[in-house]
Amino acid sequence: MSLSSRLGGGLVALGCVGLFGCAAHESPQVTVQQASASLQKVKDDADVLRSAPRDVIRASESLSRAERLASYWGTRDDVAQYAYLSQRYSEIAREHTQLVLNKEKLARQDLERQRLQLALRESKLNSVQQQGKALEEQFVSMATTETDRGLVLTLGDVLFDSGEADLKPSANRMILKLVQFLQLNPKRVVRIEGYTDNTGDSEFNLELSKDRAQTVADTLVDLGIDEKRLQVQGYGDQYPVEANASERGRAMNRRVEIVFSDEKGVLGAAR
Amino acid sequence: MRIQAFIAVAALLALAGCASDPAPSEQLRLTEQAVDQARAVGATDDVAEMKLASDKLAAALAANGSQSYRQARLLAEQAELDARLAEAKVLTEKSQQQLTQVNTRIVRLHKQLGEVQ
Repeated sequence: MSLSSRLGGGLVALGCVGLFGCAAHESPQVTVQQASASLQKVKDDADVLRSAPRDVIRASESLSRAERLASYWGTRDDVAQYAYLSQRYSEIAREHTQLVLNKEKLARQDLERQRLQLALRESKLNSVQQQGKALEEQFVSMATTETDRGLVLTLGDVLFDSGEADLKPSANRMILKLVQFLQLNPKRVVRIEGYTDNTGDSEFNLELSKDRAQTVADTLVDLGIDEKRLQVQGYGDQYPVEANASERGRAMNRRVEIVFSDEKGVLGAAR
Repeated sequence: MRIQAFIAVAALLALAGCASDPAPSEQLRLTEQAVDQARAVGATDDVAEMKLASDKLAAALAANGSQSYRQARLLAEQAELDARLAEAKVLTEKSQQQLTQVNTRIVRLHKQLGEVQ
């Protein structure tokens, strides 16, 4: 190595350390090789070329600059810089591609969801028609009452089996009515409150009450109600409407209550 | 006075060959914009790239303040892309969550349809 080149290298190193202590610590050649490998990977990916061509071009331009500068003396920082930028553009290209792919998939899945929603609504309507009016009496426990909490619809125990959170098919009619009501009143929101009787320990009851309320909410969402309009709350065995002493009283206490907001979407405070 | 200034400039030139770099105001503006935009879509310092971006932007502003314009520019350029990568990652993550959610609903709908029929 000649004296002058050694001196030159020394000066460059001094400049690097003194004024720019933040460049990559690996040698620039390694950084360039890494950037080049990353770029090659995204270039080989047809999805990336289709979804993020601009990022690939920028990665490619930055890499060429790094490679060109690497043949000069005293450009160590710039080589590292452009290799870094190229690397970043490749990574950004990859993320943008994933985003585009996800969005395409989301659009397809959303169509599928709508199709299933319609099918479900139709089949629920059919089953309601089949059940006919004989079921009418079963809904005596379902009544809307004006309370200090606002308008409240009570779904009685008849809609759930004891200890279960799944809705029985007999709930279809009421759920459809509720969906229809919410569609006709798009500004109203509801709070879905679950309650149980006092059988079993209170922690289990709290979970069960939440699960029941959530089931009702999920079904409403499945039928096309925006979940932003639904709040879900479990109260366990609190706030009984009847004494838990008799089976009749316990049945009355196993319920889900739907609290409606006013027409402007203002909901009363939770209990 | 003027001679002192000349010597200071000459010393900088000799050491780094970069004193001719102008203040990277436009790049700093771009970087700040990219960082703000990443924050706006919900990138926090928990995202590694976002932390890098905010740290480098702070360092770039400090370097700019002490007239190390070249260092300020290099840092700001890196921070801009760090922020853009952080933003892209957050958006991808969000779309992934939406996808999971809609898939859950589809599974639930299939289950319900199976029960009704």
